[in-house]
Amino acid sequence: MQRVPSPYPMPPQHLHAILRRIPAGVATLQGPELRISFVNAAMQAVLGQEAQEGRLLAECASQLPADLREVIRQVYQSGQPFVTKAYGLPAPPTDGEDTGALRYFDLALEPVQAEREEEAVSGLLLFAVDVTAQEEARQQAHQLALETRRLDARLRVLTETVPQITFSVDAQGHYEYVSPQWYYFTGQPPIAAVNAIWPLLIHPDDRLRILYQAEQARRNGTGWSYEYRLRRHDGQYRWMLSRALPELHAPNEPVYWHGALTEVHDQRELAEALRRGEAELRFLADSIPELIWTATTEGFIDYYNRYTTDYSGLTIEELGPTGWVSLLHPTEQAEAARYWVQSIASGQTFEGEYRMRRHDGSYRWHIIRARQLVDERGLRWFGTCTDVQDQHLLHQTLQTQYDELARAHHDLDTFVYAASHDLRQPALNLRGLFEELRRSATFADPDEAHLLAMVDEALGQLDTTLHDLAATVHAQRAQQEPVEILDLALLLEEVLLGLRPQAQLRQAQFEVEVEAAPGLLYSRANLRSVVHNLVSNALKFAHPDRQPLISLRSYLTAAGQPVLEVQDNGLGMNLTNSQAPVFQLFVRQHPTIEGTGVGLYLVQRIVTSQGGHVEVASTVGEGTTFTIYWTQPA
Amino acid sequence: MSRAVRPLSDEELQALLDQCRRDNELHQVTGILFYSHGNIAQLIEGEPEVLEPLFERIARDGRHSHVRKLVQRPIASRSFAQWSMAFHPLEPTGFEALEGFLLPHDVPPTPSSLTIADALLVELVRLAVFGNEPTLAPVEQPA
Repeated sequence: MQRVPSPYPMPPQHLHAILRRIPAGVATLQGPELRISFVNAAMQAVLGQEAQEGRLLAECASQLPADLREVIRQVYQSGQPFVTKAYGLPAPPTDGEDTGALRYFDLALEPVQAEREEEAVSGLLLFAVDVTAQEEARQQAHQLALETRRLDARLRVLTETVPQITFSVDAQGHYEYVSPQWYYFTGQPPIAAVNAIWPLLIHPDDRLRILYQAEQARRNGTGWSYEYRLRRHDGQYRWMLSRALPELHAPNEPVYWHGALTEVHDQRELAEALRRGEAELRFLADSIPELIWTATTEGFIDYYNRYTTDYSGLTIEELGPTGWVSLLHPTEQAEAARYWVQSIASGQTFEGEYRMRRHDGSYRWHIIRARQLVDERGLRWFGTCTDVQDQHLLHQTLQTQYDELARAHHDLDTFVYAASHDLRQPALNLRGLFEELRRSATFADPDEAHLLAMVDEALGQLDTTLHDLAATVHAQRAQQEPVEILDLALLLEEVLLGLRPQAQLRQAQFEVEVEAAPGLLYSRANLRSVVHNLVSNALKFAHPDRQPLISLRSYLTAAGQPVLEVQDNGLGMNLTNSQAPVFQLFVRQHPTIEGTGVGLYLVQRIVTSQGGHVEVASTVGEGTTFTIYWTQPA
Repeated sequence: MSRAVRPLSDEELQALLDQCRRDNELHQVTGILFYSHGNIAQLIEGEPEVLEPLFERIARDGRHSHVRKLVQRPIASRSFAQWSMAFHPLEPTGFEALEGFLLPHDVPPTPSSLTIADALLVELVRLAVFGNEPTLAPVEQPA
């Protein structure tokens, strides 16, 4: 400490006032007994409140550590000043409790000497500056540094043990840090120049893209995430995922990017394989000439194959999640929609035959099938629409032809039976007449008698043949005897279906009413034959000026006899015309219209042979009503 | 269709109903909203310049996620006279009287002015939201 003599000596009381107020602790000690001659409030905080002027330091500074008291004594004896920094002293007890906290002071002990240099020390000047805050801050900083070092060590262990390669790169693209895994992976020596070598290890096909993208990210201050192939130590290129984030020092631009490189080769290969697989499946689905689609578990279609759009001429957007239903024939849409909702609700297979509109507006029959299946995405519906138009047409044609053949066959049978039966009577008559002739007439020539025998024999053969014929057919028909109660509604529908081509040609309308007598015990073939003949007659003899209206009615008479009434609005017949009786064989009411004249004859024969009868009422130009009285039930 | 972020309470549903009815009436938006167990589906009709921002807003609404647009198409006329909402309140009392509220089984059959394909879509959505209820209304055949 230097003493500069002040040109303007300050009055001692002013000096005291200043010393008492300054924030540093000041005290003076006098004599070898170290009596306190001056102490300010700040120093009392160091020495304790007992440190009053006039008291001995030894009495009142009991809180001072022993070593400090020793130092004070030595300074006094040796006359050498002493300075110590951040000396820790226990804080004075607050509210009588020792908190154990330390306060830190910079202490200076200055021996006070008398005017003459050689004289011994007469007292001590004591300075104390509270540096607790600074010291605590310093200690905290130290703790922080230790913690940082610990974290750093941990981070290092982590970065060096994770399977990923970690790295830090600066704004210029220079690698600041690369974890050892990089060296293991690439097989480069630890002295390798990472900055120069890294780009060379990237697959040539990826290099430019990656360098460009990294550059862009650094320039824009954003992170990145991209995949590329990096050469492994064995020369194999492996797919890596590089992800990095900028370290931001707001508001400045980012200085570093920290990131990791993960090997994703196997995942990528797998994904690639899946993509290839899916692409192949899709290609397959697209190349099949069949409408294929899939739907979510809620029933919304999420995939249509290309054939679907080709067939319908609609885009996938136009088809939408439920658009398939609008492809169906308008009369079938509502029913199909209901069915689909039901299938979705119940999980049951959807299957039906529907007409679907092609791009050219024509409808073709399809079998639509959809089943619920489970794939990796969960429950889904897989559907197909198979074109069965040709099969459908073929089936229809075959059915019509079959019906016609069956009817023709039956008609033929019936005709043969009826004809043979009916011809027997004239043959018998002929034979009787011939007998009569032989008895009454005489022949001169004996050869003629021989002729007579031949005629007789021929007549006998005729009768036998007719009889056999009738018997044969009868035997066949025995198999067709009524064995079941026929559902008239069904049977009439079948017959009308068989006549559809003719009906469509004339745009005929049918009215079928069978509720009054829905069942009939009759031979199926016979019933078909009767109805077929009557309805085909009605169609054949339709009035050219109006749409044919044919009504079929089944009911019971008061006596309980089943009746079928077939009424038309056709040409009508002249029932009184004796030249053309209605039910006669080969008799034709309308010679201008093609026909054989067998139909009504057959009807009559069939019905009467079963114990029924036929009535007819007709008005020329208005129409005809046939009433069939079937067999009276026993 | 979308999923509620968390199940909506009766109060929240009622608040949604009030809010939507007010806004939709203002912008002449009609349609119907189905809600059940966190499943939400909505059909809206209106002018394109109203609907597009409306859909954007709906899609951004934080109360639901997984927003999926099933179909968007121009229509010649509206099929819904107003905007309404159908759900099962936990406490049905008091809800019946609310304007624009419907119990799911009271939802009228799909309007016949919709094409069958659209009606089918509404039915499937209804099925997806409410599940398989015996009260499922049939698809109406257009006149």
